[in-house]
Amino acid sequence: MSAISELSTLSKTRAEPARRENLAAYLFLAPWLVGLVLITVGPMLASLYLAFTDYNLLEAPTWIGVENFTRMFADERLHNSLRVTFIYVLVSVPLQLALALLLAVVLDRGLRGMAFYRSVFYLPSLLGSSVAIAILWRQVFGGEGLINHVLGWLGVAGRSWIADPESALWTLVTLNVWTFGAPMVIFLAGLRQIPRMYYEAAAVDGAGPLRRFANITMPLLTPIIFFNLVLQIIHAFQAFTQAFVVSGGTGGPSDSTMFYTLYLYERGFGKFDMGYASAMAWVLLVIIAVFTAGNFVASKYWVHYDD
Amino acid sequence: MRSGTLARLAVAGLLLAATAACGGSGGDAADGKVELRFTWWGSDIRHQATQKAIEAFQKANPNIVVKGEYGEWNGYWDKLATTVAANDAPDIIQMDERYLREYADRGALLDLKTQKDLQTADFEPASLGAGDVDGKLYGLNAGVNAYSILANPSLFEAAGVKMPDDTKWTWEEYAKIAAQITEKSSGGVFGSQAYGNDEAGLSVWARQHGEALYTPDGKLGVTAPTVTSWYQQLLDLQKAKALPSADATTQDMIAPLDQSMLATNKVAMGYWWSNQLNAVSKASGKEMKLLRLPSVTGKSTENGNYYKGSMFWSVSSRSEHPAEAAKFVNFLANTTEAGDIILSDRGVQPNLKVRAAITDKLPPAEQAAQAYIEDIADELGTVPTAPPPGGGGAQKILQRYTQDVLFERQTPAQAAEGFLKELGSEIAG
Repeated sequence: MSAISELSTLSKTRAEPARRENLAAYLFLAPWLVGLVLITVGPMLASLYLAFTDYNLLEAPTWIGVENFTRMFADERLHNSLRVTFIYVLVSVPLQLALALLLAVVLDRGLRGMAFYRSVFYLPSLLGSSVAIAILWRQVFGGEGLINHVLGWLGVAGRSWIADPESALWTLVTLNVWTFGAPMVIFLAGLRQIPRMYYEAAAVDGAGPLRRFANITMPLLTPIIFFNLVLQIIHAFQAFTQAFVVSGGTGGPSDSTMFYTLYLYERGFGKFDMGYASAMAWVLLVIIAVFTAGNFVASKYWVHYDD
Repeated sequence: MRSGTLARLAVAGLLLAATAACGGSGGDAADGKVELRFTWWGSDIRHQATQKAIEAFQKANPNIVVKGEYGEWNGYWDKLATTVAANDAPDIIQMDERYLREYADRGALLDLKTQKDLQTADFEPASLGAGDVDGKLYGLNAGVNAYSILANPSLFEAAGVKMPDDTKWTWEEYAKIAAQITEKSSGGVFGSQAYGNDEAGLSVWARQHGEALYTPDGKLGVTAPTVTSWYQQLLDLQKAKALPSADATTQDMIAPLDQSMLATNKVAMGYWWSNQLNAVSKASGKEMKLLRLPSVTGKSTENGNYYKGSMFWSVSSRSEHPAEAAKFVNFLANTTEAGDIILSDRGVQPNLKVRAAITDKLPPAEQAAQAYIEDIADELGTVPTAPPPGGGGAQKILQRYTQDVLFERQTPAQAAEGFLKELGSEIAG
């Protein structure tokens, strides 16, 4: 009681400048806040409403309850898009992180010109989800692309890797793995945090490089691995540009690169089925939330925080 | 004092952001000119010609500014749907038959009959029908074309295969010729591009079998056995090596015109629209030739072909300047000045006076396309019903099932059933 009154007298004397400072803070925040409300929260609420309507973009939406969601159970193309997306996420993210970790460990050994290598390896991450790189991919893996030229030297007859339903998705997985730079830089920062004396002590005890990696690097790096894992999984679920450009907007051949996001886009803007597309967006949000929550629960068993 | 300065600084920043945001919008040009937006798809040749036509119109109408927004066929419809939904539709829209009813039925297009500045008196009467929905004119025909085979005579010659008599040829003959060309050509050249990338091919096949893709009341008119036989023939063609590999075909489906297998001289025959003769010939550097589609019976009068409105001029129902937009469409459709520039890139001119006036000015390939359109006039059947709403998706659905057949992931019967089911639910919804 007395502490509170003491506090209030204290704050009264400073109330004026403090409130003004708060005001300034909110004003500085305002552009971001306005953006959040208008560009993120507003449209999200609108799409939540549209998810329960039949909306063809040109006429006013009509309320249909949960029909959009029940329609999903019979939609085979939706199920296929889920399958494609899960394969993409579950294969490309672990490969990408493994490659990122491997290169981070190599670079961490203090190579000469490391800054240069770091930039070179980081470059694909900056470019990876751009349209330009997707177009490049189309050329590299196309019928007369770079890959087939190299195969030609070896006497192997190539094919159009992006136009064959057996291989098209794997070109996109390769593209995602190739953008390992962002997690690599984070791994590098994490590796720098591990005290060198641990390694020295282990070396004195006769632990070899592999043993040191398994018993020191890995456990101490688990929070960073966890962070990268959560981030990259979310990122991979949202992949769109690569598949859109590489398949010419079709998700083809034979729907083999039809990511969930791409199918959502096709339903919304290609088939004027914006109610269904909105419902799909919310289902994706739930899927990502479940994956992320699952990650956090599982993290209790394998992530070690250095207390 | 310090925090006061801070607050003022923040307000100044906000104001700056607000003014910057406002700068982007703005309707008409400040000097009282009316601004129209005009969107179309096409090749480079079309973009250049259309820009020239816009300049000619602006010269004659100094108070109107027309802004062109153009791109490839792929992506055009997504973009149009987005702008229309955002209440930001272009004033003048180059429309396709597939989407005409989709947009018209939902009130997005203007009935052109309400515009007194727009004349249709000199039009070939039959050419107006396709843009007519329930007595209202939602799209004005911009050109007449027909689905056809484009052949590359130089590849026929190189293979030592004779060009067919296209008034008599059957599908068997076509298959034989295509397989021969592949066999006798040096590596990498194939007899024919695969069909199945455009539902017009299926429509013609259905008509050859006494059916139609859509019935007059907007339902599916083609049966599963007919689609199955069409796909079976395609698979047989592929097995006879008359066609390129399945992956090459798939890549060809999304390639721009100048990178297509026909325009890069890798196939001797391909399925195209007659108005594309000039663009493909230019891109390939070879003089292409239009051939009638083969028939089941060997009579070109029974090959099921028809005149199609290659594309239409539509005006957005939400245009703020419908009169000016109609005036611009009138300029494109009815003046020899525009006809001299556009020529027959969008198909043979439906305005008979313009057509007569420009015939001598057409480049040889466009003259050939026009002669072809006039030659087949007596062989054609009735004009098929315009696709119902939802028909816009037909092409992508068909392409997907064609890929499944060519990669042998589905049998022709499975693909036929799947295609009909999917398209059926699309046009019912």
